[in-house]
Amino acid sequence: MALFEARGIHKRFGHQVVLENIDLSFEAGRLSGIMGPNGAGKTTCFNVLTGAFKPDRGRVIFDGEDITGRSPDAIARKGISRSFQTMSLFDEYTALENVLIALPEVRGRGFNMIEPLAMDGEAADRAAAVLSRVGLSGREHRRAGDLAYGERRALEIAVALAAGPRLLFLDEPTSGLGAEATARLADLVLDLKRDYSIVVIEHDMRFLFGLADTISVIHWGQVIAGGTPDELRGNKWVQRSMLADLGGSP
Amino acid sequence: MGARPSAASAWISGEMVCLFAVMATLPLWIEAAGLYQYLGIEIAIWMIYGLGFNLLLGYSGLPSFGHGAFFGIGAYVFGLFQAWAFESLLLGIALATVAAFAAGAVVACFLSHRRGIYFALMTIAFGQVFWFIAIKWHTVTGGEDGLLNIPRPALELGVASLPLGSNVALFYFVLLVFAVVVVALWRLVHSPFGKVLQAVRQNEERARFVGYNVWRFKWAVFSLSAAVAGLAGSLFSMAQQSAYPDVMSLHASGVIVMMTLIGGGFVSFWGPVVGVAVYFLARDVLGAVTETWLLWFGLVFVVSVLFKPEGIAGVWQERVSGVLRLRFADAPLRSGRTGDVSIVGPEHGETKDAIGQSPSGR
Amino acid sequence: MPNLVPHLLNGLSLGLLFALIALGFMLIVGVMELINLAHGSLFALGAYFAMVIIAPELSWLGSVGEGYQALPLAMRYGLAILLAPVLVAVVGMGLELCMRRTYGKKAEYGLLLTFGAALVIEEIIRLVWGPSEQYLQVPQAVSGAFLFAGLIYSKYKLFAALFAVFAILLVWLFLERTPYGAIIKAGAHDSEMVRALGINLTRLRLLVFGLGAGLAGLAGIVLTPIWGLRPHVGIDAVIPAFLIIVLGGIGSFWGAVLGGILVGLAVGITGAYASEWSLLSMYLLLIAVVTVRARGLLGRKSVLEA
Repeated sequence: MALFEARGIHKRFGHQVVLENIDLSFEAGRLSGIMGPNGAGKTTCFNVLTGAFKPDRGRVIFDGEDITGRSPDAIARKGISRSFQTMSLFDEYTALENVLIALPEVRGRGFNMIEPLAMDGEAADRAAAVLSRVGLSGREHRRAGDLAYGERRALEIAVALAAGPRLLFLDEPTSGLGAEATARLADLVLDLKRDYSIVVIEHDMRFLFGLADTISVIHWGQVIAGGTPDELRGNKWVQRSMLADLGGSP
Repeated sequence: MGARPSAASAWISGEMVCLFAVMATLPLWIEAAGLYQYLGIEIAIWMIYGLGFNLLLGYSGLPSFGHGAFFGIGAYVFGLFQAWAFESLLLGIALATVAAFAAGAVVACFLSHRRGIYFALMTIAFGQVFWFIAIKWHTVTGGEDGLLNIPRPALELGVASLPLGSNVALFYFVLLVFAVVVVALWRLVHSPFGKVLQAVRQNEERARFVGYNVWRFKWAVFSLSAAVAGLAGSLFSMAQQSAYPDVMSLHASGVIVMMTLIGGGFVSFWGPVVGVAVYFLARDVLGAVTETWLLWFGLVFVVSVLFKPEGIAGVWQERVSGVLRLRFADAPLRSGRTGDVSIVGPEHGETKDAIGQSPSGR
Repeated sequence: MPNLVPHLLNGLSLGLLFALIALGFMLIVGVMELINLAHGSLFALGAYFAMVIIAPELSWLGSVGEGYQALPLAMRYGLAILLAPVLVAVVGMGLELCMRRTYGKKAEYGLLLTFGAALVIEEIIRLVWGPSEQYLQVPQAVSGAFLFAGLIYSKYKLFAALFAVFAILLVWLFLERTPYGAIIKAGAHDSEMVRALGINLTRLRLLVFGLGAGLAGLAGIVLTPIWGLRPHVGIDAVIPAFLIIVLGGIGSFWGAVLGGILVGLAVGITGAYASEWSLLSMYLLLIAVVTVRARGLLGRKSVLEA
């Protein structure tokens, strides 16, 4: 059985139907991709899956448990972590503090009002290890708001990783990155793939085709195709919808 | 806002020691400075109030414009307890604190899901409700006149009993409470709880997505902050030997906001302490010269919001860190083992146009 | 059971007046995303300006001054009701010019600036006109009382309520029938859209702040003959304005009117049963409504929540 499943998800805002009968399933140990042009409903889909929005209809099931409509924090505590396309960090905190606050052991004593967090060397080491994994060693004590764009992208992933998630959602991680940085990000995601089950949203199809085990294509709020990258390469629908959006050759 | 880890790790910081030392000598020279003993009590009480308030405003980013209600509840409960039950200092204070906590907890249930403007307006509404009750419920609160003749019970220490009737004795007692509050809040803001509060202020959405039930944190900090206000209020009723509705008015609630900000509550733990001292000194020093001192104070406040919204502490930090930056400009930030998979590149802020040529598309 | 009709009528007229107070506040909050805490002080300032225009100290002008003072009260009152709001609007625009430094910073700073401005204006009033209660004259025609259905009503309250209706309609016409109104309405919902339309946001803000301040001043002139004129009378005005806006829903014109009338009725009806506690009812009404409907009765999602 799949680690994470979404069945028959519907979502509308006012009169506009954004998601229609979405079925998705992500296997443990795999890297699954969600692809589609801008405005196709990818991010809304992500938001429904991670608890930011309640679906109007449909079920979200994680590890056999129905988590439909649970709050984002409850879903996060179940072991689902996500990053944000529009970077969402604690800007006044240092990189290290950003990761520290997301560690499950720190979260577990969120109501501890006496012992200073900074005295916890073990947690700090663990946070530093997470930062090193995304290539932010040496930046621990820099304020998140002062980091360079690419570094902030990396920190965005580090904060999501800090929870030691059973399922990691990455929302357009290449957004705004140049070619070289995108390549390095691909290496990082490949590295993470060894330890985590990952779901990536992207509209950069080259990035996703190179990394993903399976890909679901969303367009007009519906899943129009799904399969391995090789299967999808031949799919006319996919080619048409992606080409139309990118406006160029793949 | 974040202090250096070394300072945070201790129970006591250098600033604290200096502050306590200066305040402990206050009764010796305050009269020589042309002021009076009672002022010291007032300042210390409002510093407690301000520190508790800043937990909400500065650390959690929750602007309450009705906090006077909890200060007032503390004052009334202390007075009523002495009048209805028996004279007891510590029990009265404890009860006042608990009552303010309870009132804060109830109010927080309504507030914790509200954000921004709605939060601020709801605090005004609740503050006004309590203020109104204090004025109208004559049989209990004494109406506009308030409760009079509240005693200053002696501090019972088992073997000895220290009377707090004189302003100097009361000052030292209040200073002791102040010291306890400072240390407790200092620990709190550096604890995981305090760190989560600041995280929520910076980015509530992300805090939620890393698994924090933000509602419960807001609820807890509001109740705690109300409790500290109640504690300060109980001391105030002792100092004034009365409790009256004025301290619960919107104006009084606004003044604590102003004090906290003028001192720099957004950027420093010590902001409210500085702000309270500046406010009371301005009141007494400027007030002696001109009757319109509040006009001048208001003008200074407006100018400071316009040009230095980080407050006095902000100016101070800028100067200090300016010096530090000069001295340590070249020091490396910890030797960096560079990760093998870094996406940290030189191309900041490149647009999506470059994505089409990604070399990873195999 | 007491006869409710006079209380309802009283509540309704009070509600219309509350709505009048809230209008200027609503414009500013809707377009600028700012709680103008100085609203109450501008309200008081309007009344003081009107007082000066009605009965100025003009002895230094000699016969011209005497001639002005010899004009009928109604004429001077009419002049005041036209001119004083304009003067308050100018003060409001001055405030907006100061506000500009806070745009783009934390929303709290705007709040604090207006709080400071409120303090300063109130102190200036105290300095210039003294702390004691003053009296704003009203024309003979609208003072005194009249009998209707066996009950005595104050003529002035009726006049004030009708004036409030008139002002509300005027603002509504302005919003609905003029290009400025269209822009303000667009801004009230979405300031990004205003920018997209290529409208000069700087000028729009100045205009809206001036208009909001002017309406506050107008409300002050109409209301202070009922409430009395003290330097801190503004606080009696700004609190209901807050409540009404939140109750009605931020950025909604009819929400403000509806909120005002509801608050007035609540105060009027509680006045019938427990007059001591009548003002408490408006706070309880707000808490009840906002607990159930987070955005007020007619409110939409607002940027201010984030």
